[in-house]
Amino acid sequence: MLRFLKGLGLFTAVALGVAAAPVHAAGDLLVAPTRVILDGSRGTEVVLNNIGTEPATYRISLEIKRMTAEGGLDEIAEDEANPAERAALDMIAFSPRRVTLPPNQPQVIRVGVRVPEGTPQGEYRAHMLFRAVPDAAAAPAAAAKPAGEGVSIALTPIYGITIPVIVRVGDLGAEASIGEAWVGETPDGPAFNFDLARTGNRSVYGDIEVTRPGAAEPLLVARGIAVYPEVAKRNVSLRVPGELAAKLKGPVRIRYTEDREIGGGTIDEAERIVK
Amino acid sequence: MRKFGMKRAIVGAAIAALAMNASAAHAASATGTAKAKILRQITLTNTSDLQYATIISGATASTVAVSTGGTRTCGGSLTCTGTATAANFDVAGTDSAVVVVGGDSSVTLNGSLGGTMTSSLTYSSATITLGATGGSFQVGGTLNVGANQASGDYSGTFNVTANYQ
Repeated sequence: MLRFLKGLGLFTAVALGVAAAPVHAAGDLLVAPTRVILDGSRGTEVVLNNIGTEPATYRISLEIKRMTAEGGLDEIAEDEANPAERAALDMIAFSPRRVTLPPNQPQVIRVGVRVPEGTPQGEYRAHMLFRAVPDAAAAPAAAAKPAGEGVSIALTPIYGITIPVIVRVGDLGAEASIGEAWVGETPDGPAFNFDLARTGNRSVYGDIEVTRPGAAEPLLVARGIAVYPEVAKRNVSLRVPGELAAKLKGPVRIRYTEDREIGGGTIDEAERIVK
Repeated sequence: MRKFGMKRAIVGAAIAALAMNASAAHAASATGTAKAKILRQITLTNTSDLQYATIISGATASTVAVSTGGTRTCGGSLTCTGTATAANFDVAGTDSAVVVVGGDSSVTLNGSLGGTMTSSLTYSSATITLGATGGSFQVGGTLNVGANQASGDYSGTFNVTANYQ
């Protein structure tokens, strides 16, 4: 409802703003799947689709990102990559790297891997970035301004999607454990927080389910939470509506399970009193 | 439109999956198995731009801020006209999936008649948890306008990504 109102407000603002630039969405995109794990020999395919209304040129590249203790993903410049990150960039091959697609035209990106002999065992990871190349001619029309006075501003976002591409070399294992849980305030509203610690030589990845003992329906479900090897522990902060934040306080059971696609086994489970 | 896009991606993936399994299916011709793989997907659409609209600079340096909610605050010595909006991005994907939002924290704008300005950028959230109908995030910012800033059309680009972990 809130989102609807917000959307309506936005719509009204756009509709009323005669001088506002037209809404354009050249560069909207779809990527599937959302995570790629390679065992070192077989490659895979990723689908990119132009879901915008205009033809768009997309560039595909590999980026290095490091997880932070807060669970964010920091972008790392290529010349600051450590040897393992450099090795990940070198062992992952993909094609094409640039493609122009008419609306609703999917394109398969082939992803291959070549692990050089003697590569130390471990998990190697890069993030595949898909994004539209800005079209100079299609820059948003500046708002009409009186001739000779004032400044008009046109800010064009270059937006894209990244998915992790993970290469596992050798026999790897990892465990995770759920730490303290609490409800806190963020500048954007209340959030459910807990610590997630990791040990071992690979990442852990899975879904979080928070239930109240005795109640069947989970209070909160969050899918696709990872702890990458560069951090031993991270905070998981999930924004929740105010009424849910109040409900989450008290005794809960937090369960961290593996991805449903690989069986959904429990990684860790804990009973916590949420403060 | 977005729904149509999703359908096509699944079809595309299914075609790819079928092509990959074609030889196996041929070998096992006694059992007619049809295979289709449904891939998890994420979509990102840009539904509005970050608009400071038109600003008439004053004798002293000042700032114009557009909140992630789209509300503009015009600095003391400035005159602001037109309709300001925050940038909005819709994200759709697996229900309950957590998506990390990333992007530049500032952008430099170059004027058509010379001169530059900088703008800081703020994001409505560092992560979003997708609901059944997806989710969205907004980008606002604060523009630094110099004293008697040269008039003209200022433009700049900034990077925004939706990241799966």
